[in-house]
Amino acid sequence: MSLTGAMEIKAVKKAERTILSHCYYEGALKLTRPVYLDENAPSVYMIHVGGGYVDGDVYTTQIQAAREAELSVTTQSHTKVYKTPKKPVVQKTSIHMEENSLVEYMPDPLIAYEQARFVQETDVHMKEGARLIYSDMMTPGWAEDGRSFSYDWIRSMLKVYKNERLVVFDHLFLEPDESISGLMQMEGYSHTGMLLVLHDSVDEKFINIVYERLNTMNLEARFGISELPVKGFMLRILAHSTKTLEELIYKAHDYIRSNLLHRENIQWRKY
Amino acid sequence: MINRLLPLLQFSDSNFPSGAFSHSFGLETYIQEEVIKDKQTFSEALNVYLQKQLVYVDGLACRLAREALEEKNEAAFFHLDELLFASCLSKETRLGNQRMGERMAKLCYELYPEPILEKYIKNMKEKKAYGHSALVFSAVAFHLEVDKHTALQTYLFSTINSLVQNAVRGIPLGQTNGQKLLVEIQPVIEESTRKIMELSEEDLAAVSPGLEIAQMKHERLHVRIFMS
Repeated sequence: MSLTGAMEIKAVKKAERTILSHCYYEGALKLTRPVYLDENAPSVYMIHVGGGYVDGDVYTTQIQAAREAELSVTTQSHTKVYKTPKKPVVQKTSIHMEENSLVEYMPDPLIAYEQARFVQETDVHMKEGARLIYSDMMTPGWAEDGRSFSYDWIRSMLKVYKNERLVVFDHLFLEPDESISGLMQMEGYSHTGMLLVLHDSVDEKFINIVYERLNTMNLEARFGISELPVKGFMLRILAHSTKTLEELIYKAHDYIRSNLLHRENIQWRKY
Repeated sequence: MINRLLPLLQFSDSNFPSGAFSHSFGLETYIQEEVIKDKQTFSEALNVYLQKQLVYVDGLACRLAREALEEKNEAAFFHLDELLFASCLSKETRLGNQRMGERMAKLCYELYPEPILEKYIKNMKEKKAYGHSALVFSAVAFHLEVDKHTALQTYLFSTINSLVQNAVRGIPLGQTNGQKLLVEIQPVIEESTRKIMELSEEDLAAVSPGLEIAQMKHERLHVRIFMS
Protein backbone atom coordinates (compact mmCIF):
# COMPACT_ATOMS: atom_id res chain seq x y z
CA MET A 1 0.00 0.00 0.00
CA SER A 2 1.62 3.23 -1.05
CA LEU A 3 1.18 6.14 1.29
CA THR A 4 -0.13 9.52 0.27
CA GLY A 5 1.29 11.01 3.41
CA ALA A 6 3.00 9.88 6.59
CA MET A 7 4.29 11.46 9.73
CA GLU A 8 6.04 10.42 12.92
CA ILE A 9 6.65 12.33 16.11
CA LYS A 10 8.38 11.33 19.28
CA ALA A 11 8.29 13.50 22.37
CA VAL A 12 10.68 13.06 25.29
CA LYS A 13 11.06 14.92 28.53
CA LYS A 14 14.33 16.75 29.09
CA ALA A 15 14.63 18.41 32.48
CA GLU A 16 11.40 20.40 32.89
CA ARG A 17 10.58 20.60 29.26
CA THR A 18 9.27 18.20 26.61
CA ILE A 19 11.10 18.32 23.31
CA LEU A 20 10.59 16.46 20.04
CA SER A 21 13.39 13.94 19.67
CA HIS A 22 12.08 12.70 16.36
CA CYS A 23 9.98 14.42 13.77
CA TYR A 24 9.49 13.09 10.29
CA TYR A 25 6.98 13.63 7.49
CA GLU A 26 6.62 12.77 3.84
CA GLY A 27 4.18 13.11 0.97
CA ALA A 28 1.11 15.24 1.48
CA LEU A 29 1.53 15.59 5.26
CA LYS A 30 3.70 18.18 6.95
CA LEU A 31 4.33 19.23 10.51
CA THR A 32 5.00 22.68 11.81
CA ARG A 33 7.89 23.34 14.14
CA PRO A 34 6.73 22.88 17.72
CA VAL A 35 5.18 25.93 19.32
CA TYR A 36 5.43 26.36 23.10
CA LEU A 37 2.01 27.77 23.92
CA ASP A 38 2.47 25.99 27.22
CA GLU A 39 6.00 26.76 28.34
CA ASN A 40 6.92 23.12 29.00
CA ALA A 41 4.84 21.24 26.45
CA PRO A 42 5.07 21.65 22.70
CA SER A 43 2.10 21.90 20.35
CA VAL A 44 2.54 20.68 16.81
CA TYR A 45 0.20 21.28 13.90
CA MET A 46 -0.36 18.71 11.20
CA ILE A 47 -0.75 20.24 7.76
CA HIS A 48 -2.13 18.73 4.61
CA VAL A 49 -0.31 20.29 1.69
CA GLY A 50 -2.96 19.44 -0.90
CA GLY A 51 -6.49 20.79 -0.85
CA GLY A 52 -7.94 17.73 0.84
CA TYR A 53 -8.19 13.97 0.82
CA VAL A 54 -9.15 12.34 -2.47
CA ASP A 55 -9.91 8.89 -3.86
CA GLY A 56 -7.67 6.11 -2.53
CA ASP A 57 -5.51 8.33 -0.33
CA VAL A 58 -3.77 6.56 2.54
CA TYR A 59 -2.28 8.42 5.49
CA THR A 60 -0.41 7.19 8.53
CA THR A 61 0.49 9.05 11.67
CA GLN A 62 2.59 7.79 14.57
CA ILE A 63 2.85 9.65 17.81
CA GLN A 64 5.01 8.54 20.69
CA ALA A 65 5.23 10.11 24.09
CA ALA A 66 8.03 8.87 26.32
CA ARG A 67 7.85 8.79 30.12
CA GLU A 68 6.52 12.07 31.56
CA ALA A 69 6.54 13.73 28.13
CA GLU A 70 3.69 16.14 27.39
CA LEU A 71 2.58 16.90 23.86
CA SER A 72 -0.34 18.49 22.04
CA VAL A 73 -1.16 17.61 18.46
CA THR A 74 -3.70 19.41 16.35
CA THR A 75 -4.26 20.38 12.72
CA GLN A 76 -3.89 23.69 10.97
CA SER A 77 -7.36 23.51 9.42
CA HIS A 78 -10.27 21.19 8.67
CA THR A 79 -9.65 17.87 7.00
CA LYS A 80 -11.68 17.73 3.82
CA VAL A 81 -12.62 14.45 2.20
CA TYR A 82 -13.83 14.71 -1.39
CA LYS A 83 -15.62 12.08 -3.41
CA THR A 84 -14.02 8.68 -3.59
CA PRO A 85 -15.40 6.92 -6.67
CA LYS A 86 -12.98 3.98 -6.54
CA LYS A 87 -11.43 3.59 -3.12
CA PRO A 88 -12.20 5.08 0.28
CA VAL A 89 -9.68 7.32 1.97
CA VAL A 90 -7.86 5.56 4.81
CA GLN A 91 -6.24 7.27 7.75
CA LYS A 92 -4.34 5.24 10.32
CA THR A 93 -3.07 6.74 13.51
CA SER A 94 -1.20 5.11 16.33
CA ILE A 95 -0.39 6.77 19.60
CA HIS A 96 2.00 5.18 22.10
CA MET A 97 2.13 6.65 25.54
CA GLU A 98 4.61 5.63 28.18
CA GLU A 99 4.22 6.04 31.95
CA ASN A 100 2.78 9.39 33.07
CA SER A 101 2.92 10.93 29.63
CA LEU A 102 0.26 13.32 28.38
CA VAL A 103 -1.10 13.54 24.85
CA GLU A 104 -3.76 15.99 23.78
CA TYR A 105 -4.88 14.99 20.31
CA MET A 106 -7.49 17.44 19.11
CA PRO A 107 -7.69 17.88 15.36
CA ASP A 108 -10.05 20.24 13.55
CA PRO A 109 -13.26 18.68 12.24
CA LEU A 110 -13.42 16.36 9.32
CA ILE A 111 -15.65 17.52 6.48
CA ALA A 112 -17.04 14.76 4.28
CA TYR A 113 -18.31 15.96 0.92
CA GLU A 114 -20.67 14.37 -1.59
CA GLN A 115 -19.91 10.70 -2.25
CA ALA A 116 -16.99 10.65 0.16
CA ARG A 117 -16.02 7.41 1.88
CA PHE A 118 -13.61 7.66 4.75
CA VAL A 119 -12.21 5.19 7.23
CA GLN A 120 -10.17 6.20 10.21
CA GLU A 121 -8.46 3.67 12.46
CA THR A 122 -6.81 4.92 15.59
CA ASP A 123 -5.02 2.78 18.16
CA VAL A 124 -3.85 4.22 21.44
CA HIS A 125 -1.57 2.26 23.77
CA MET A 126 -1.25 3.67 27.25
CA LYS A 127 0.98 2.72 30.13
CA GLU A 128 0.32 3.35 33.81
CA GLY A 129 -0.39 6.97 34.67
CA ALA A 130 -0.62 8.10 31.04
CA ARG A 131 -3.17 10.84 30.36
CA LEU A 132 -5.10 11.20 27.14
CA ILE A 133 -7.32 14.01 25.91
CA TYR A 134 -8.74 13.09 22.50
CA SER A 135 -11.40 14.79 20.43
CA ASP A 136 -12.92 14.22 17.05
CA MET A 137 -15.63 15.86 14.95
CA MET A 138 -17.39 14.52 11.88
CA THR A 139 -19.29 17.01 9.78
CA PRO A 140 -21.05 16.98 6.42
CA GLY A 141 -19.74 19.06 3.55
CA TRP A 142 -21.78 21.35 1.36
CA ALA A 143 -23.72 19.50 -1.32
CA GLU A 144 -25.20 20.94 -4.48
CA ASP A 145 -28.69 19.72 -3.65
CA GLY A 146 -28.48 20.98 -0.06
CA ARG A 147 -28.69 17.56 1.57
CA SER A 148 -27.08 17.24 5.01
CA PHE A 149 -25.88 13.72 4.40
CA SER A 150 -24.45 13.52 0.91
CA TYR A 151 -21.36 11.53 1.81
CA ASP A 152 -21.46 7.78 1.21
CA TRP A 153 -20.14 6.77 4.61
CA ILE A 154 -17.68 7.59 7.38
CA ARG A 155 -16.20 4.96 9.64
CA SER A 156 -14.12 5.80 12.66
CA MET A 157 -12.67 3.10 14.88
CA LEU A 158 -10.82 4.16 17.98
CA LYS A 159 -9.29 1.51 20.21
CA VAL A 160 -7.61 2.38 23.46
CA TYR A 161 -5.48 -0.17 25.28
CA LYS A 162 -4.34 0.35 28.83
CA ASN A 163 -1.42 -1.88 29.77
CA GLU A 164 -2.19 -3.95 26.65
CA ARG A 165 -5.83 -4.54 27.57
CA LEU A 166 -8.62 -3.09 25.39
CA VAL A 167 -10.54 -0.63 27.51
CA VAL A 168 -12.34 1.65 25.05
CA PHE A 169 -13.61 0.83 21.59
CA ASP A 170 -15.44 3.70 19.96
CA HIS A 171 -16.81 2.64 16.61
CA LEU A 172 -18.76 5.27 14.75
CA PHE A 173 -20.17 4.25 11.38
CA LEU A 174 -22.32 6.82 9.65
CA GLU A 175 -23.95 5.56 6.49
CA PRO A 176 -26.75 7.85 5.39
CA ASP A 177 -30.01 5.94 4.84
CA GLU A 178 -33.64 6.82 5.52
CA SER A 179 -33.12 6.57 9.29
CA ILE A 180 -29.80 8.46 9.67
CA SER A 181 -31.31 11.76 10.74
CA GLY A 182 -33.88 10.21 13.03
CA LEU A 183 -34.31 8.64 16.43
CA MET A 184 -31.30 6.87 17.95
CA GLN A 185 -29.14 7.92 15.02
CA MET A 186 -28.47 11.64 14.51
CA GLU A 187 -31.71 12.79 16.24
CA GLY A 188 -32.34 15.56 13.72
CA TYR A 189 -28.77 16.86 13.88
CA SER A 190 -26.09 16.75 11.19
CA HIS A 191 -22.81 17.16 13.08
CA THR A 192 -21.28 14.81 15.62
CA GLY A 193 -18.32 15.16 17.94
CA MET A 194 -16.71 13.43 20.87
CA LEU A 195 -14.24 14.06 23.63
CA LEU A 196 -12.48 11.21 25.37
CA VAL A 197 -10.59 11.90 28.56
CA LEU A 198 -8.53 9.24 30.32
CA HIS A 199 -6.87 10.48 33.47
CA ASP A 200 -6.46 8.81 36.86
CA SER A 201 -8.00 11.77 38.72
CA VAL A 202 -11.32 11.69 36.88
CA ASP A 203 -14.14 10.57 39.17
CA GLU A 204 -17.92 10.79 39.15
CA LYS A 205 -17.87 14.18 40.80
CA PHE A 206 -15.58 15.60 38.16
CA ILE A 207 -17.78 14.20 35.39
CA ASN A 208 -20.87 15.75 37.00
CA ILE A 209 -19.20 19.14 37.07
CA VAL A 210 -18.25 18.90 33.39
CA TYR A 211 -21.82 17.89 32.59
CA GLU A 212 -23.28 20.82 34.52
CA ARG A 213 -20.92 23.31 32.90
CA LEU A 214 -21.89 22.15 29.43
CA ASN A 215 -25.57 21.92 30.30
CA THR A 216 -25.78 25.51 31.52
CA MET A 217 -24.45 26.75 28.16
CA ASN A 218 -27.92 25.96 26.78
CA LEU A 219 -26.72 25.34 23.27
CA GLU A 220 -28.73 23.69 20.54
CA ALA A 221 -27.16 20.30 20.88
CA ARG A 222 -27.80 16.90 22.40
CA PHE A 223 -25.03 15.33 24.40
CA GLY A 224 -24.27 12.58 26.85
CA ILE A 225 -21.36 11.95 29.15
CA SER A 226 -20.48 8.77 30.99
CA GLU A 227 -17.76 7.16 33.06
CA LEU A 228 -15.53 4.56 31.41
CA PRO A 229 -14.25 1.23 32.76
CA VAL A 230 -10.90 2.91 33.41
CA LYS A 231 -10.65 6.33 35.05
CA GLY A 232 -12.04 8.75 32.53
CA PHE A 233 -15.11 9.70 30.56
CA MET A 234 -16.62 9.84 27.12
CA LEU A 235 -18.59 12.84 25.91
CA ARG A 236 -20.65 12.42 22.75
CA ILE A 237 -22.37 15.37 21.08
CA LEU A 238 -24.84 15.91 18.27
CA ALA A 239 -25.29 19.45 16.93
CA HIS A 240 -26.31 21.51 13.92
CA SER A 241 -22.95 23.19 13.44
CA THR A 242 -19.22 22.84 13.92
CA LYS A 243 -19.27 25.98 16.03
CA THR A 244 -21.56 24.39 18.62
CA LEU A 245 -19.49 21.19 18.75
CA GLU A 246 -16.35 23.26 19.25
CA GLU A 247 -17.89 25.47 21.92
CA LEU A 248 -18.85 22.43 23.98
CA ILE A 249 -15.59 20.55 23.47
CA TYR A 250 -13.43 23.62 24.19
CA LYS A 251 -15.45 24.47 27.27
CA ALA A 252 -14.83 20.97 28.61
CA HIS A 253 -11.19 21.12 27.52
CA ASP A 254 -10.57 24.42 29.32
CA TYR A 255 -12.02 22.98 32.50
CA ILE A 256 -9.88 19.86 32.13
CA ARG A 257 -6.73 21.88 31.58
CA SER A 258 -7.24 24.01 34.64
CA ASN A 259 -8.71 21.42 37.01
CA LEU A 260 -7.19 18.12 35.92
CA LEU A 261 -3.91 19.04 34.28
CA HIS A 262 -3.44 22.22 36.36
CA ARG A 263 -2.22 24.16 33.35
CA GLU A 264 -3.07 27.47 31.79
CA ASN A 265 -5.56 27.31 28.98
CA ILE A 266 -4.12 27.44 25.51
CA GLN A 267 -5.51 28.79 22.26
CA TRP A 268 -4.56 26.62 19.34
CA ARG A 269 -7.03 28.05 16.95
CA LYS A 270 -5.71 30.13 14.19
CA TYR A 271 -8.77 31.88 12.85
CA MET B 1 -32.31 -36.59 18.70
CA ILE B 2 -32.36 -33.23 20.37
CA ASN B 3 -35.64 -31.37 20.34
CA ARG B 4 -34.69 -27.89 19.23
CA LEU B 5 -38.05 -26.18 19.37
CA LEU B 6 -38.84 -26.50 23.05
CA PRO B 7 -35.59 -25.08 24.46
CA LEU B 8 -35.88 -22.14 22.06
CA LEU B 9 -39.41 -21.47 23.27
CA GLN B 10 -38.08 -21.54 26.80
CA PHE B 11 -35.36 -18.97 25.98
CA SER B 12 -37.66 -16.57 24.18
CA ASP B 13 -40.23 -16.52 26.97
CA SER B 14 -40.16 -13.05 28.51
CA ASN B 15 -40.34 -14.74 31.92
CA PHE B 16 -36.97 -16.36 31.30
CA PRO B 17 -34.91 -14.79 34.09
CA SER B 18 -32.24 -13.13 31.97
CA GLY B 19 -32.51 -9.84 33.82
CA ALA B 20 -33.78 -8.01 30.72
CA PHE B 21 -36.93 -7.21 32.71
CA SER B 22 -35.04 -4.43 34.51
CA HIS B 23 -33.42 -2.73 31.52
CA SER B 24 -34.66 -0.39 28.82
CA PHE B 25 -31.19 0.20 27.26
CA GLY B 26 -31.84 3.90 26.84
CA LEU B 27 -35.45 3.67 25.69
CA GLU B 28 -36.73 5.03 29.00
CA THR B 29 -34.99 8.33 28.22
CA TYR B 30 -37.18 8.68 25.13
CA ILE B 31 -40.27 7.70 27.13
CA GLN B 32 -39.58 10.46 29.66
CA GLU B 33 -38.95 12.95 26.87
CA GLU B 34 -42.28 11.85 25.40
CA VAL B 35 -40.64 11.01 22.11
CA ILE B 36 -41.85 7.47 22.68
CA LYS B 37 -45.43 7.76 23.93
CA ASP B 38 -47.69 5.28 22.13
CA LYS B 39 -47.72 2.22 19.92
CA GLN B 40 -46.77 4.15 16.78
CA THR B 41 -43.76 5.97 18.26
CA PHE B 42 -42.56 2.89 20.11
CA SER B 43 -42.86 0.82 16.94
CA GLU B 44 -40.61 3.27 15.07
CA ALA B 45 -38.06 3.18 17.89
CA LEU B 46 -38.16 -0.59 18.08
CA ASN B 47 -37.50 -0.89 14.35
CA VAL B 48 -34.44 1.35 14.51
CA TYR B 49 -33.21 -0.40 17.65
CA LEU B 50 -33.45 -3.73 15.86
CA GLN B 51 -31.93 -2.60 12.57
CA LYS B 52 -29.03 -0.71 14.16
CA GLN B 53 -28.20 -1.71 17.72
CA LEU B 54 -29.24 -5.36 17.49
CA VAL B 55 -27.90 -5.90 13.97
CA TYR B 56 -24.50 -4.23 14.41
CA VAL B 57 -23.82 -5.05 18.03
CA ASP B 58 -25.68 -7.88 19.80
CA GLY B 59 -26.82 -9.81 16.73
CA LEU B 60 -23.54 -9.65 14.86
CA ALA B 61 -21.71 -10.67 18.05
CA CYS B 62 -24.09 -13.62 18.38
CA ARG B 63 -23.24 -14.75 14.83
CA LEU B 64 -19.49 -14.23 15.21
CA ALA B 65 -19.50 -16.09 18.53
CA ARG B 66 -21.22 -19.01 16.85
CA GLU B 67 -18.59 -19.06 14.10
CA ALA B 68 -15.82 -18.91 16.69
CA LEU B 69 -17.32 -21.91 18.50
CA GLU B 70 -17.72 -23.85 15.26
CA GLU B 71 -14.03 -23.26 14.55
CA LYS B 72 -13.17 -24.18 18.14
CA ASN B 73 -11.56 -20.77 18.44
CA GLU B 74 -11.98 -19.88 22.10
CA ALA B 75 -9.70 -16.88 21.86
CA ALA B 76 -11.98 -15.36 19.21
CA PHE B 77 -15.01 -16.03 21.42
CA PHE B 78 -13.45 -14.20 24.36
CA HIS B 79 -12.20 -11.41 22.14
CA LEU B 80 -15.85 -10.71 21.24
CA ASP B 81 -16.65 -10.47 24.94
CA GLU B 82 -13.92 -7.85 25.31
CA LEU B 83 -15.05 -5.88 22.24
CA LEU B 84 -18.68 -5.78 23.41
CA PHE B 85 -17.68 -4.56 26.84
CA ALA B 86 -15.20 -1.93 25.64
CA SER B 87 -17.57 -0.60 22.98
CA CYS B 88 -20.40 0.15 25.37
CA LEU B 89 -19.55 3.67 26.46
CA SER B 90 -22.53 4.28 28.72
CA LYS B 91 -21.61 3.01 32.18
CA GLU B 92 -25.11 2.01 33.19
CA THR B 93 -25.79 0.02 30.03
CA ARG B 94 -22.32 -1.55 30.15
CA LEU B 95 -22.88 -2.73 33.73
CA GLY B 96 -26.40 -3.86 32.84
CA ASN B 97 -25.09 -5.99 29.98
CA GLN B 98 -22.40 -7.38 32.20
CA ARG B 99 -24.82 -8.30 34.98
CA MET B 100 -27.24 -9.90 32.54
CA GLY B 101 -24.41 -11.81 30.88
CA GLU B 102 -23.16 -13.16 34.17
CA ARG B 103 -26.63 -14.15 35.30
CA MET B 104 -27.45 -15.81 31.97
CA ALA B 105 -24.17 -17.72 31.99
CA LYS B 106 -24.77 -19.10 35.47
CA LEU B 107 -28.35 -20.03 34.74
CA CYS B 108 -27.56 -21.62 31.39
CA TYR B 109 -24.71 -23.57 32.92
CA GLU B 110 -27.21 -25.04 35.37
CA LEU B 111 -29.41 -26.05 32.43
CA TYR B 112 -26.66 -27.16 30.05
CA PRO B 113 -23.31 -27.77 31.78
CA GLU B 114 -21.20 -26.99 28.73
CA PRO B 115 -17.41 -26.54 29.04
CA ILE B 116 -17.48 -23.18 27.23
CA LEU B 117 -19.99 -21.81 29.74
CA GLU B 118 -17.91 -23.14 32.59
CA LYS B 119 -14.88 -21.38 31.14
CA TYR B 120 -16.88 -18.19 30.60
CA ILE B 121 -18.02 -18.16 34.24
CA LYS B 122 -14.50 -18.91 35.43
CA ASN B 123 -13.04 -16.10 33.31
CA MET B 124 -15.63 -13.68 34.65
CA LYS B 125 -14.77 -14.67 38.19
CA GLU B 126 -11.09 -14.07 37.46
CA LYS B 127 -11.91 -10.76 35.77
CA LYS B 128 -10.58 -11.99 32.45
CA ALA B 129 -14.02 -11.78 30.84
CA TYR B 130 -16.97 -9.46 31.38
CA GLY B 131 -20.11 -11.33 30.28
CA HIS B 132 -22.70 -10.69 27.60
CA SER B 133 -26.00 -12.47 27.02
CA ALA B 134 -25.52 -12.62 23.22
CA LEU B 135 -22.44 -14.79 23.69
CA VAL B 136 -24.07 -16.99 26.32
CA PHE B 137 -27.06 -17.54 24.09
CA SER B 138 -24.83 -18.34 21.15
CA ALA B 139 -22.98 -20.96 23.21
CA VAL B 140 -26.24 -22.62 24.27
CA ALA B 141 -27.66 -22.63 20.73
CA PHE B 142 -24.45 -24.17 19.45
CA HIS B 143 -24.65 -26.87 22.09
CA LEU B 144 -28.27 -27.59 21.13
CA GLU B 145 -27.23 -27.79 17.47
CA VAL B 146 -29.73 -25.14 16.49
CA ASP B 147 -28.77 -23.83 13.06
CA LYS B 148 -27.18 -20.40 12.94
CA HIS B 149 -30.07 -18.67 11.25
CA THR B 150 -32.68 -19.97 13.71
CA ALA B 151 -30.41 -19.16 16.64
CA LEU B 152 -30.05 -15.57 15.47
CA GLN B 153 -33.78 -15.17 14.94
CA THR B 154 -34.48 -16.55 18.39
CA TYR B 155 -31.97 -14.19 19.97
CA LEU B 156 -33.41 -11.17 18.16
CA PHE B 157 -36.99 -12.17 18.91
CA SER B 158 -36.38 -12.79 22.59
CA THR B 159 -34.57 -9.46 22.97
CA ILE B 160 -37.37 -7.63 21.18
CA ASN B 161 -39.94 -9.50 23.23
CA SER B 162 -38.40 -8.28 26.50
CA LEU B 163 -38.30 -4.70 25.21
CA VAL B 164 -41.96 -4.92 24.21
CA GLN B 165 -42.95 -6.29 27.61
CA ASN B 166 -40.99 -3.48 29.25
CA ALA B 167 -42.72 -0.93 27.01
CA VAL B 168 -46.12 -2.35 27.92
CA ARG B 169 -45.31 -1.52 31.56
CA GLY B 170 -43.25 1.60 30.99
CA ILE B 171 -45.13 3.70 28.41
CA PRO B 172 -47.66 2.06 29.11
CA LEU B 173 -49.10 0.18 26.13
CA GLY B 174 -51.99 -2.23 26.15
CA GLN B 175 -51.17 -5.94 26.09
CA THR B 176 -52.91 -6.29 22.73
CA ASN B 177 -50.77 -3.53 21.24
CA GLY B 178 -47.70 -5.26 22.57
CA GLN B 179 -48.67 -8.49 20.85
CA LYS B 180 -49.50 -6.65 17.62
CA LEU B 181 -46.03 -5.14 17.65
CA LEU B 182 -44.51 -8.58 18.01
CA VAL B 183 -46.37 -9.72 14.90
CA GLU B 184 -45.51 -6.60 12.91
CA ILE B 185 -41.81 -6.83 13.66
CA GLN B 186 -41.42 -10.42 12.46
CA PRO B 187 -40.58 -9.57 8.83
CA VAL B 188 -38.03 -7.02 10.10
CA ILE B 189 -36.45 -9.73 12.24
CA GLU B 190 -36.13 -11.89 9.12
CA GLU B 191 -34.57 -9.03 7.19
CA SER B 192 -32.24 -8.15 10.07
CA THR B 193 -31.07 -11.75 10.28
CA ARG B 194 -30.15 -11.65 6.60
CA LYS B 195 -28.34 -8.37 7.13
CA ILE B 196 -26.34 -9.81 10.04
CA MET B 197 -25.24 -12.69 7.82
CA GLU B 198 -23.97 -10.20 5.23
CA LEU B 199 -21.97 -7.99 7.59
CA SER B 200 -18.28 -8.42 8.14
CA GLU B 201 -16.31 -8.62 11.34
CA GLU B 202 -15.18 -5.02 11.03
CA ASP B 203 -18.81 -3.85 11.26
CA LEU B 204 -19.03 -5.10 14.84
CA ALA B 205 -20.11 -2.68 17.53
CA ALA B 206 -20.87 0.30 15.31
CA VAL B 207 -22.60 2.68 17.67
CA SER B 208 -25.94 4.39 17.15
CA PRO B 209 -24.83 7.81 18.40
CA GLY B 210 -28.29 9.03 19.42
CA LEU B 211 -29.06 5.83 21.29
CA GLU B 212 -25.75 5.97 23.12
CA ILE B 213 -26.50 9.53 24.21
CA ALA B 214 -29.96 8.40 25.38
CA GLN B 215 -28.28 5.67 27.43
CA MET B 216 -25.88 8.21 28.93
CA LYS B 217 -28.75 10.58 29.65
CA HIS B 218 -30.62 7.78 31.41
CA GLU B 219 -27.94 7.82 34.08
CA ARG B 220 -29.08 11.36 34.93
CA LEU B 221 -32.86 10.80 35.02
CA HIS B 222 -34.26 11.51 38.44
CA VAL B 223 -37.12 9.04 38.48
CA ARG B 224 -36.96 5.82 36.59
CA ILE B 225 -38.49 2.38 36.36
CA PHE B 226 -35.53 0.71 34.68
CA MET B 227 -31.90 0.28 35.67
CA SER B 228 -30.69 1.40 32.24
